[in-house]
Amino acid sequence: MDNQFISLSSWPRAILHLDADAFFASCEQAVHPELRGRPVITGKERGIVAAASYEAKARGVQRGVRLSDVKKICPDAVILPSDYETYSLFSVRMFEILRRFSPDVEEYSIDEAFVDLTGLRRNFHGPYEEIAKKMQDTIQQELGLSVSVGVSLSKVLAKIGSKHRKPHGITMIPGREIHLFLEKLPVEKVWGIGPNTAALLNKCGITTALQFARKDEAFVKQHLSKPYQEIWSELNGRSVYPVTTETKNSYQSISKAKTFTPASSDETFVFAQLAKNLENACIKARRYRLAASRVVIFLRKQDFTGSGVELKLTRPTAYPVELFELLREGFRHLYQPTSLYRQTGVVLAGLVEEKCLQYSLFDDTTKIEKMAKIYESVDLISQKFGKHTIQHAASLPTKLQAQHEGARGDIPVRRAILFMGENKRQRLKLPMLHVKV
Amino acid sequence: MFIYNRITQKSCFLIIADRKKMAVMRTSAVSLKVVHTLEDLTTLGEDEGARTIPIAGPQSYHVLGLVEAGFPSPAEEELRDTLSLDEFLVQNPDASFLLKVSGDSMTGAGILPGDLVIVDRGQTGKSGDIVIAEVDGEWTMKYLKKSGDAVYLVPANPRYEPVRPKHELKIAGVVTAVVRKYK
Repeated sequence: MDNQFISLSSWPRAILHLDADAFFASCEQAVHPELRGRPVITGKERGIVAAASYEAKARGVQRGVRLSDVKKICPDAVILPSDYETYSLFSVRMFEILRRFSPDVEEYSIDEAFVDLTGLRRNFHGPYEEIAKKMQDTIQQELGLSVSVGVSLSKVLAKIGSKHRKPHGITMIPGREIHLFLEKLPVEKVWGIGPNTAALLNKCGITTALQFARKDEAFVKQHLSKPYQEIWSELNGRSVYPVTTETKNSYQSISKAKTFTPASSDETFVFAQLAKNLENACIKARRYRLAASRVVIFLRKQDFTGSGVELKLTRPTAYPVELFELLREGFRHLYQPTSLYRQTGVVLAGLVEEKCLQYSLFDDTTKIEKMAKIYESVDLISQKFGKHTIQHAASLPTKLQAQHEGARGDIPVRRAILFMGENKRQRLKLPMLHVKV
Repeated sequence: MFIYNRITQKSCFLIIADRKKMAVMRTSAVSLKVVHTLEDLTTLGEDEGARTIPIAGPQSYHVLGLVEAGFPSPAEEELRDTLSLDEFLVQNPDASFLLKVSGDSMTGAGILPGDLVIVDRGQTGKSGDIVIAEVDGEWTMKYLKKSGDAVYLVPANPRYEPVRPKHELKIAGVVTAVVRKYK
């Protein structure tokens, strides 16, 4: 039965998943051509590997490893501070290039996209594989980036395709070949199936994606919840998840977390870090005219263990002053003076539109309106003079220590080379090639 | 800036704006009604002195000129087909990169050390173009010359010799503009 086709029709739909290869490191190699072919690592300012080029991966460098350990296994690695501004510019361009081919582009993350190609063969006078090849070539030519691509009947299958051959691969999974790709794929490697679900499936005798796909609907309905039933359909080539084209203009939740090195046990400093995350999260919420009805905070220790707590709000808000007292309380609950902390974070959830907010009987409306005015002014001033031109005193002690040890020497080159008219905050919106000519 | 000052200081002009465009009128009894509609759109508001002021609007406006009581300005039509400096300098925004020039091999073409050049990676280079190229492992900016099968790179400075690639020539992009700021 394992040789049976899953779908007889080859391309009822054609969904492409594109995944940039070692994206951050590749961006660095694209703007510093002398680094091509060399092991490149980003994340210098954090002290751990944020991204490793394929040359570095080949030498055994993995994400999240401490840089001091990297020097042991790969002494000639080029270690660079992250330059998110440049990476974002590349990301936007990559999506723009994809939109030349199809209007249905979903920006899934900074370095991943889904594209619906269904019906485009006529426009491009060629098979889907040729369109995928053209996309890959254009991105290589114009951005100097290598990407891997998978094309299949659904998003889940397309994602299996893009992972199948990396880097610079193109993997086509037509209906008649789905079973060949699922046969050897462990079920936990399928997009959306976590370790818990995998463990459950293993108990039912399912270890490969193909065994899962071959189960009948009754079994799936009985044992699994809706999201997994959907994954099951997608594995069988029946597309359930649409390619959603609209750019994000609203959020389910907003989270801000920042790491600092070296780790600290200083109560004032760690609290200030948390307060600053709250400020940043609220700034983002206000930009989208949202207010949070739930706030979760967490602290993460040197040894990567963490703990969190939810704050009990009286009304949805995006104004930090209203939250500082609760924040302090939650912090006291989590903080242990003998521990060393390396990260704090804030998650705003239960987001509601600001204009839909209603005052309750017990709200002090004059006070709230005053607050609204103050924050409106703060946001206007930030827009003009830069973020945190006015900030809360609670987050001032973040300046007690540089965010990262030796942070001064770790600014990206792009920030160090400025043209006349550029400044610390604003630079031209084009990536810079660093070659001496 | 001009409009903003007029409104805040004298309160005698009125802005009509949407996301892209903005028009200005003299305030009169007739147009006060328009002010109220715009207030609903939170484009205009009042300050403490009950003067009309713009509030938190979009970032960039095309100013269409002054309009007396609703007559459209001829400037609107005339300015429709204009280029921003951005569009003028960067024809292919998805494939263009900045480069800070350090050498003096193209001074004769008006490109000096410290200048900003815009490099289009989408173009492969025609004879006569100024290109950024890797020649036998060295990066350079020169005129690209092709004659017959021969391809070579020519500097715009008599102190340098033309370069003929021995092993490999890779064109990274074509220089489409040079920008120099003085202040």
